[in-house]
Amino acid sequence: MALAIIVGVLGSLILFHAAYSTIQYKSLLKITEEEFSSPPFNVVIELFVGLLLCFWAALTAPGKFLSIHPQSEENRIVSLPANLDFMIFNHRRKVFPLETDLKLKH
Amino acid sequence: MVTKTEESQLKNLEIQVDNGGGGAWEYLSLIRKLKVRRSDKVLKHGLSILNDSKLRSNLGPEEWTLYEQVAVAAMDCQSLDVAQDCTKALRKRFPESKRVGRLEAMLLEAKGSWDMAEKAYTSLLEDNPLDQIIHKRRVAMAKAQGNISGAIEWLNKYLEIFMADHDAWRELAEIYLSLQMYKQAAFCYEEVILAQPTVPLYHLAYADVLYTLGGLENVQTAKKYYASTIDLTGGKNTRALFGICLCTSAIAQLTKGKNKEDKEGSQLQSLAAKALEKEYKQRAPDKLPQLTTALKSLTLSS
Repeated sequence: MALAIIVGVLGSLILFHAAYSTIQYKSLLKITEEEFSSPPFNVVIELFVGLLLCFWAALTAPGKFLSIHPQSEENRIVSLPANLDFMIFNHRRKVFPLETDLKLKH
Repeated sequence: MVTKTEESQLKNLEIQVDNGGGGAWEYLSLIRKLKVRRSDKVLKHGLSILNDSKLRSNLGPEEWTLYEQVAVAAMDCQSLDVAQDCTKALRKRFPESKRVGRLEAMLLEAKGSWDMAEKAYTSLLEDNPLDQIIHKRRVAMAKAQGNISGAIEWLNKYLEIFMADHDAWRELAEIYLSLQMYKQAAFCYEEVILAQPTVPLYHLAYADVLYTLGGLENVQTAKKYYASTIDLTGGKNTRALFGICLCTSAIAQLTKGKNKEDKEGSQLQSLAAKALEKEYKQRAPDKLPQLTTALKSLTLSS
């Protein structure tokens, strides 16, 4: 968790640095009066590294992924809910009442 | 639907609560959420919360939900005094409520005064003719009195209005099953599967009904539904595995001599048998010989 946050911060710092270098490069081009076609190669590499780190952090930090498959061990349905709307009270509990002195007192 | 995770969660909470480890309110909430029927436990632990004024006031407005839950549980346990007290407390708080009216009618039902309960439901229905739960209560009441054909009639009338209610379809299927009217039950299960296609237990029930009906076509369809149950449970449903074996041998018997698509069937059967053997080895090794003889007799008869 802490590691993921550190990596995420690092990644965004790298992204900011890439943006800053691009701006600097553009202003340099203005001085030399050349056309801007693409940022320099090392900035592109930096961009990708930053992106990857951010990706990794965003996928790790919020927690574990849960399975969406109906057949997976966690999602597997093992029993149906009792159909409580159709519950009937005329059953064997009538013959064997609960022998306790439970009372609502107040 | 109760999934594996929820089931184990409920089990853990139940052990914890029964041993006095606290968490009674969480337990009761989970019971409400999963709609399982644990009336004796709800009555015991719910009352212990309700009788403790500090715990009760901690719940805030949820307190009244608990009163209702405990009242129904008390009716189910035939502790009619408790049920009456809870209903009275609710009536005091909500003098105009229809929901409390329903609860009072249910109390009459639990007491066995059917006529009065019927009257109460009728008057409640006059105010709101589309109250689904009250319609369902009437069905349940007919069932409780042993009037199964009446229950079927009420339920059919109800389903004409509320066709999308899969719980009612399930109930109708179960009633038909209890009367051994398998064709009608199969129709109801078809509706249930249409409404909730991802619940393996409905596929399983439908397959069981079709297998019971018999006949080549039905057994073939049953096999398909057993297979879909296996698909949806990841092969963890023992009954479906047995179903595949039984269906295959039944099909082989019915098509004796014709021998169409025999290869595929026996392959499926041997796969299912292997899965069964593996599961038995893991969980009940002492029953393994019985399983192997049973499986052998199935393949021999085909």
